[in-house]
Formats: sequence, C-alpha cells, structure tokens
Amino acid sequence: MRDIKIHVNDLSLYYGDKQALNSITMQIPANKVTALIGPSGCGKSTFLRCINRMNDLIPSVKITGEMLVEGIDIYDKNVDVVNIRKKIGMVFQKSNPFPKSIYENVAYGPRINGLNDKAQLDEIVETSLRQAAIWDEFKDRLDDSALGLSGGQQQRLCIARTLAVSPDIILMDEPASALDPISTSKIEELVHQLKEQYTIIIVTHNMQQAARTSDHTAFFYMGELIEMGKTNAIFTKPEKKQTEDYITGRFG
Amino acid sequence: MTHFMIELDKLQSVLVKIGTLAVGQVAESVKALLFEPIQGKEVRKIELKIDKLDVKIDEICQSIFALQQPVASDLRFIMSSLQISNEIERIGDLSMSIIKRSKSIKEKHDLIAKFEIADFTKEVESIVRKTNECLVSKDEKAISEILLLNKTIKANGDLIIDKIIEEMKSHSKVVVSGTNLVIALKHLERITDHCSNVAEYVYFVVNAKIIKHDKYEDLNLDKIEE
Repeated sequence: MRDIKIHVNDLSLYYGDKQALNSITMQIPANKVTALIGPSGCGKSTFLRCINRMNDLIPSVKITGEMLVEGIDIYDKNVDVVNIRKKIGMVFQKSNPFPKSIYENVAYGPRINGLNDKAQLDEIVETSLRQAAIWDEFKDRLDDSALGLSGGQQQRLCIARTLAVSPDIILMDEPASALDPISTSKIEELVHQLKEQYTIIIVTHNMQQAARTSDHTAFFYMGELIEMGKTNAIFTKPEKKQTEDYITGRFG
Repeated sequence: MTHFMIELDKLQSVLVKIGTLAVGQVAESVKALLFEPIQGKEVRKIELKIDKLDVKIDEICQSIFALQQPVASDLRFIMSSLQISNEIERIGDLSMSIIKRSKSIKEKHDLIAKFEIADFTKEVESIVRKTNECLVSKDEKAISEILLLNKTIKANGDLIIDKIIEEMKSHSKVVVSGTNLVIALKHLERITDHCSNVAEYVYFVVNAKIIKHDKYEDLNLDKIEE
C-alpha cells in the first residue's frame, strides 16, 4: 500500500535471553505522526530504535521478523546500515549538539556525505533551519557555539541537523521531555509542520503530547503492541481495556 | 485511590444528589397538581439547592478539565455530567412552574378525575425515579426503558391534551383552567424529555456513541418490548 511507509511483520527482539519485543505487527502510515506510548520498560523506545537499526550497536541483541521500509527489509544482510540511518533520522531525549557552531552542526551531515560546495552547504543549512523554524532566531549568529543555546533551541537545532541529510522518516525519542512548556509547544508545532514532508514516529510519556501531536497512536505493554489506531479513537474510545486503563491513569 | 478518582467520585455523588432533589421536586409538583396548592417556600428552597449543585457540578468539571486532562470514559463522563446537570436543573424549573400553574386550575378536581391525570403523573414520577437510578446503575436496559417510557408518556399526554381541548370547546367555563392544565401537562411531558436526554448521555458514557438524534427504533440497544 502506497500510504504505508513502514510494514512491521512479526518483529521480536531479544536482549540475550530476555525478550523485549514480542511479535510486533503494525503498519506506520506515510506523512503522518505516529506516537508510541506505554509505561517505562514496555519496549516502545526499543521498537523505535529498531526502525533505524540503532539496536545493532548492542552486541547481545537478536531480532527476528521483518521491518519493511518502503517495501525493503532493513534487516536484510545486503542493506547498508549507513544508508538506512541517512534515510531515517533520529532526535533524542537529551539534545546533543556537537561542540561546534550552529552552522557546522547542520552542515556536518551533508559534509560527511561528501558535500563540500560552500554555496550548496549554505543553502542546506538555511533550508534546514527554516524547516526547523529557527532560521529567524539563528540567521545572524550562525557562527555562535551551539552549546551556548538554550535546551529548547538546542533540540530544534538537532532537528535541523537531522533534516539536513534529507531523511524520509524522523524518529523522536521523547524529544520534549526535558523542555519547558514554551519550548515543548514549539517542538510540537514543528512536528505538526514537518509531517507534510516526513513520516514521524515519536515516543512520549506525555499523554497530552501524544494526543496533541499525533495522527495515530500505538500502545505498547510488556513488549507487546496492545492497540494501534487513530489518535482520536485511542483517546476517546480505545478498544482494549488495558489501553483505557493506561491512558486514564488506572494502570497497575 | 488517586486524587483524580476521588474527584470523579465526588462528581458522581453530586450528580445523584441533584437527581434525587429533582425526584422530590417532581413529586411535589404532582402533589400540587393533583391535590391542594402547596407552600412554595419549601420547594423554592429545594430549587435553590438544585441550582447550587448545578453550579457545583460545573465547577468540579471545569477543575477536572483544567487539572487532569481526562480522556476516554472519564472524558465522556465529565462531558455528560455537565449536560445531565443542565437537564436536571431544567426538571427542577419545570416542576416549579407546574406548582405555580396549579393554583390557577380552579375546576382541578373535576378535570383531574375526568381525564385520569393521576395515572399520567404516576408514569412521569416513575420515569424521573428510573432516570435517577440509571445515573448509578448505567444499565443499558434501564436506558432503553426510559427512552421507551418517554415515548409512551408523550403519546398519552397528547391524547389527554386533545380531550381537554375538546372539553374546552364545548364548555367555555373551563377554558382558563383547561389551558393551565394543558400547560402543566406539557411541562410534565418536557420533564420526561429531559429524563430521556439524561438516559442518552448515560448511554454515551457507557458506549461512546452519541444517540441524541437517533430514533428509538434505530438504536442498537437491549430493547424492551413496546
């Protein structure tokens, strides 16, 4: 189906003997925001990290099943992991700018991909900062150190840095959990704008944030996908009692 | 029990309280209609209590919305509570109007007996009681019973009203009393409408489906034989 960006078929993940994801099957629509919710340790971040093979970095990890991105199984042995991560960008809970200037942070990705043309780099930096809605704030201080920015600005810079390598999919792991309400709202607004061009998957502990920002919501519990549906339906009439109990705070 | 659950429990108990007061108000209005005019002071006190509880429900809901961001069944319960308290407050107002109107029905006893108004009022009192019970039980059969009863009561009320109009046509001296009686009966019919609305909101709380504009016949619920 053209509207589905990612097909996940019977995906299980083990940390050594411990099974962290149990036979996940789901479809993630293109150009929509999908929120992953669930209590701590339910597997939502582990699942998110499966989408760009970040779990490969952990030696004891074993993955079975399929993760098809635009029909290609990203766990196929012929697939280039670097390409995968170029196509599937990631923003983390804690903003992690490089100890470089604002400009260099955004230009870093294109540069290591072999682009050295100054005019082209300038254009990418400007476009990425514009897309991240921080161009007006940063255009006169591109040479300032990124480390001098506030947490919210750093996080939006990290989003711009992700956009600079033209990904199709953006993974966000609690991108606003350490930010104040104003910065949080800027990030949420940004997510809303970016979905026109990108498929976004966001992990959040904040129920209201999931409700506000996402089109679809998937509820994970103990490594299983309990329910996935349109966010409006999940937050007004979830089908499964476990989902209802979790979102209404009656869990456990 | 979390603070949020305590707030929800508080809301539920205020709803039942306001519902119980409305049951009492309707009983008083029926007494005034069937028997002698009653002292307005006491019922006015109850009306004030209903108004206060109506405001209290608004305040509790406002606070839950602002502080707890309810979702799913909690959200439906709070949304419906606002509507239900509004419906019940209207029942209180209509009861007061019936009490006031009753004083202007001079040939009351003759008309009441002739048109079997007592049986009609019994049905109205019964639907109001059932509605209040339904607020607690949230039972689908009870919802169905209330919706059906509303239909029956309205049909019966309209029949009685037609007969009263015929009586007024042939006996002009009963026109004033007859008109007041018709208005009182219409108020009682409106009370059953409000009960039916409450039942629809309870249905929404339970099933997450809005049925307020659906016909009884089209509803997919545990139906009572008509």
